[in-house]
Amino acid sequence: MRRAPVDAERQQLHSTTSLGLASARNRERVLEETCIPIQSDGDIVGARQNGRGLAVQLGFSPSDLTLIATAISELARNILLYAKRGKIILKLVEQGETRGIIVTAHDKGPGIPDISRALEAGFSTSRSLGLGLPGVRRLMDEFEIVSDVGLGTIVTVKKWAK
Amino acid sequence: MKPNLDELGGLYSATLEEYLLRGTEAALHRSYELGRRALTEGLGVLEMIALHQQAMGKILLEMATPEKSVEAVQKGGEFLAEGMSSFEMTHRAFGEANAALRRVNEALEQEAKRIAHTLHDEAGQLLAAVHMTLNEVACELPSEGSGRLQGVRELLDQIEEQLRHLSHELRPTILDDLGLVPALEFLAEGVSRRTGLRITVEGGNGNRLPGVIETALYRVVQEALNNVSKHARATRVQIRVWRTDKLIRCSVSDDGRGFEPASMLSGPDRRGLGLLGICERLSALGGAVEIDSAPGRGTALQIQIPMED
Repeated sequence: MRRAPVDAERQQLHSTTSLGLASARNRERVLEETCIPIQSDGDIVGARQNGRGLAVQLGFSPSDLTLIATAISELARNILLYAKRGKIILKLVEQGETRGIIVTAHDKGPGIPDISRALEAGFSTSRSLGLGLPGVRRLMDEFEIVSDVGLGTIVTVKKWAK
Repeated sequence: MKPNLDELGGLYSATLEEYLLRGTEAALHRSYELGRRALTEGLGVLEMIALHQQAMGKILLEMATPEKSVEAVQKGGEFLAEGMSSFEMTHRAFGEANAALRRVNEALEQEAKRIAHTLHDEAGQLLAAVHMTLNEVACELPSEGSGRLQGVRELLDQIEEQLRHLSHELRPTILDDLGLVPALEFLAEGVSRRTGLRITVEGGNGNRLPGVIETALYRVVQEALNNVSKHARATRVQIRVWRTDKLIRCSVSDDGRGFEPASMLSGPDRRGLGLLGICERLSALGGAVEIDSAPGRGTALQIQIPMED
C-alpha cells in the first residue's frame, strides 16, 4: 500500500497561485504571535522552545506538547532540507470557546509540484516510516498546504486544546 | 542499514546527561533527532527503551539523594518521550495503512460481488435467450441438423454450469443471504465433491456477524481448504466457528501430513503465500491466526477476530 489515505475533512490541498489563506481562518482571533527565521539547526531549537512556551499556556498535556514540538521540528527540518531558509510563525488563537496553536512554515524554496504525492507514504526511508509531512498531518488536528513551483511552500497546522 | 547501538547509546547517554544538567530545549531537540535517526536505522521501540534504561542506570548511581534521583527519573521521562515521538508518527501511520487495507479489501469484495452478479444473472439471461433462439432454429431445420444442435445445447449447458460455479466462488450469494455457517457448509460441499475430503462444519447459533467479519472468515477458510487440498494429503477436515465474549473464533483442523510451521515462509513451498494472505486479511481486522502443526500430526489453524463494540 503506497497511497496514504487522505482524510478530506482534515486537510485541504491547494496547488494554485493563491497564497492567501482561506477566509474561514479570519474567525480565529490571534492572541499572541511570534515569527522565527529558520536558517540553521539552532533556529529549530528556538522554534520548538517558543512553540512549547505558547502551547503550555493553553494547558496542553505533556504528550501533546511533545507532539507539537515534533511537528515544529519536522516542518523546520523540511525548510532547511528543501528551501535552505524560511520562517516559522507561531500563533496562539481563540475560536469561539476553544483555543489552540497554529504553526505556519513559510519558505521561498522550489515548491512541491505534486502535493498529494508528497503526502503519500512513498519509498524514501523517512516517508515509508510515516515521517515528514504525512507524519506532521497525523500529529495535528488540522493540516493545510499551499505550494507553488518556483515560489515556495506554506504549511499550516493547528492543534486545539481539548 | 545496521544500527550502531554503541554509538547511539553513547550519544543518547551524553545528551540525556546534558538535559538533566541544563534542561534545555536544545537537548530535547537532539533527543528527537536521535530517536528519528534510530528509527530510520531500524531500531525498535524496545531497543530505544533499553538505551534509555542503560543511560539512566549510570546516571542514577551518581545521584546523591533520593530527591535528586526522583527528579532525574522525571526529567529522563521527558527526554525519552521526545526521543520516541518519531516512533509515534510511525505508529499512527501504521494505523492509517491498516484502515486503508481494510477499505481495499471491502472494495475488492464489492467488485467481486458485482462481477459475480454479472456472470450469474446477466450472462444467464443471455444464455436463456440463446436457448430460445436455438429452439426456434430447430423447428426450421431438417431432422439431420437437430442432432448437432443438441450438441450445441449441451455445450451451452456446460458453459452455464461453469459460469454459475465461477460466480459462486467469486461471491457466494448464500453468504449474504444466509450468513457464514451455511456459506461454509456450501463451500465444504463443493470442496468435498471436487477433492473427496470429508469436511464437517460446526458452529453458529444462527446469529449474523458483521459483514466484514463474515466475508473475511469465509475467504480465510476458503484459502485454508485450498491449502489442505493442495498440500496436506488429508482425509478429514473439521471447521468450527464459535464466539467468546469479545472474539469470533474459528478453527480449521485436518488429519494430513502436517509441516514445520517455522519453515512456512522460508521454504520453496507455496503454501506460505496462502497463509500470508490469511494473515494479511485477518490483521486488517485486528485478528490473528495461530498455526498448530508438526510433521505427521496434521494441521490446525486457530483464527480469532475481535468484535468491535
